[in-house]
Amino acid sequence: MIIKGKVWKFGADIDTDELFAGRHLMGGDETNAEAYQEFISGSGLSQARNRSNVPDGFLENVRRGDIIVAEENFGIGSSRQQAAETLKFKGIAAVVADSVHRIFFRNFWNLGCPALDVPGISKGFSTGQEIQIDFGSAKIRNCTTGEQFDYHLCVPPWFMNMLKAGGLIPYHRSMNR
Amino acid sequence: MPDMAMTLVEKILARSCGREKVVPDEIVDLNVDLAMTHDALGAHTAAKFEQLGAENVWDPSKVVVILDHYVPNKDVDTAKKCQNIRRFVQKYGIQHYYEVGRGGICHQVLLENGHVLPGMVVVGTDSHTTTAGAAGAFAAGIGVDEMAVVLKSGKVWERVPNTILVEIDGTLAFPLSSKDLILWILSKLGVSGALFATIQFTGTTVSHLSVDSRITLTNMAIEAGATNGIIEPDEKTLDYLKNATGEIPNCVHGDPDAHFARRISINTEDIKEPLVAAPPSPANVVPVGRVEGTHIDQAFVGSCTNGRLEDLQIAERIIRGRRVHSDTRLIVIPASQRIYEAACEQGLLASFVRAGAAVSTPTCGPCMESHMGVLGPGEVSIATSNRNFPGRAGDPTSEIYLASPATVAASAVEGQITNPKRFLGK
Repeated sequence: MIIKGKVWKFGADIDTDELFAGRHLMGGDETNAEAYQEFISGSGLSQARNRSNVPDGFLENVRRGDIIVAEENFGIGSSRQQAAETLKFKGIAAVVADSVHRIFFRNFWNLGCPALDVPGISKGFSTGQEIQIDFGSAKIRNCTTGEQFDYHLCVPPWFMNMLKAGGLIPYHRSMNR
Repeated sequence: MPDMAMTLVEKILARSCGREKVVPDEIVDLNVDLAMTHDALGAHTAAKFEQLGAENVWDPSKVVVILDHYVPNKDVDTAKKCQNIRRFVQKYGIQHYYEVGRGGICHQVLLENGHVLPGMVVVGTDSHTTTAGAAGAFAAGIGVDEMAVVLKSGKVWERVPNTILVEIDGTLAFPLSSKDLILWILSKLGVSGALFATIQFTGTTVSHLSVDSRITLTNMAIEAGATNGIIEPDEKTLDYLKNATGEIPNCVHGDPDAHFARRISINTEDIKEPLVAAPPSPANVVPVGRVEGTHIDQAFVGSCTNGRLEDLQIAERIIRGRRVHSDTRLIVIPASQRIYEAACEQGLLASFVRAGAAVSTPTCGPCMESHMGVLGPGEVSIATSNRNFPGRAGDPTSEIYLASPATVAASAVEGQITNPKRFLGK
């Protein structure tokens, strides 16, 4: 499996209050998938504007399939899965960071979106470049500069199957059948 | 023969996954001993559980559901979520449910009611689930999709964390408290210093701390990015748990020759004055003197970090006979109904009320932007809670300083950030 996308370069310590403010937590109807997605997309990232660790124009110009490359500690903070959902519903296909906070790491994968912690990776990318992730060979490539990086994931053996199934819930549903 | 020595957390995880030995960064499948959710993510969890198509909760006696973030409900949205949670609790026969007026903040409720015991694997839909490590359990936060799977299967995977041993020695005298201590540790570790690691707190200082004070340490372990925080159970832990459960539980201990990824030595004598975490991060820690005189619009004593009885007692000692400054407001919230009752009986709440503070029933309250004490544009707050990221408790331009109950109470009296030392002996 290979994914490719346009890079948005984020800074360090992107926190979950920034990704999804507490005031929105009690909104949205989780039982109605479409309405929920619309709610999360509309309310998420509401505090990210004007933050120095978020690239200019991100909220206005992010497109489906784009990939975030970030410095250390992406997703520090709360358990709120909405912080991961807001990125998924904005179209972010993957997060690649120098390090990723444990709960965000799990939440993003569980939604069927990969998060990769690759020490030092952020230095190799800037906003607007193209990134390719090859899960088969565990390599990340900056298609703009040609630079290549290896990565090592610490995840359960069934994680790639979960990714292919579209997330944790669909993966478990498929196993029930 | 391979090295069989294990740290406390490695031992707990090995037992839970049925192996003789586990090593850091290994992936293990754990059997969950206790699962907790609350009103902020409980309805979300219930919806995900239904999506899974599960028929039953794996063990309704091991699940605790607590309403704490938005209670009493502020609007129809929050009321509907709580209705959904009550339906879920009833439908699946969840055995431990804490209604408004009978529980309090989830992390406090789990500990004071004896739900958490040494050696347990505890997961909750809340990052501050790490709090439960004060009882010698492995306790960590997870998201709602994973909680749905836990409720169905009783299992969760974990990447065995490295253990960072923080050895703390020296006395901690008023006005210093365990809040100053954890802020000092956060200043050393930073907000990412413990990613995928356990912080194990030990040393003579920890032995001398009450269990209530220790809870503040494990509570804020997450602020260093840690998977969990933990403290080896001792006599004080056993007394606390005996009081909560009526029984003396068995304990799990780490091996004396276990390998630690990192050791950090802290001498409390190096902490010369109370500490404050200035915006925008809990690790942005400065001595109170550096920010003294900063005007505050709001002061908050409460939360899972510092809403326990001894916290209220310290704050009351400073507030007693004084008034909250006319240019500021003070909000005081006991962390649980039990603490609320004790604070009532001891006259603490009356003292706060007389001083001009707003005293509320147990809830997470102004720790995050939820249902009360929300900060307006440009407002500045000093709080005993745990996070101060921009917009955490209101408008993105509002600012939060994190400090101990003594520092927050002193600041409320002066209307500006104040060293509580000045209130000694007065």
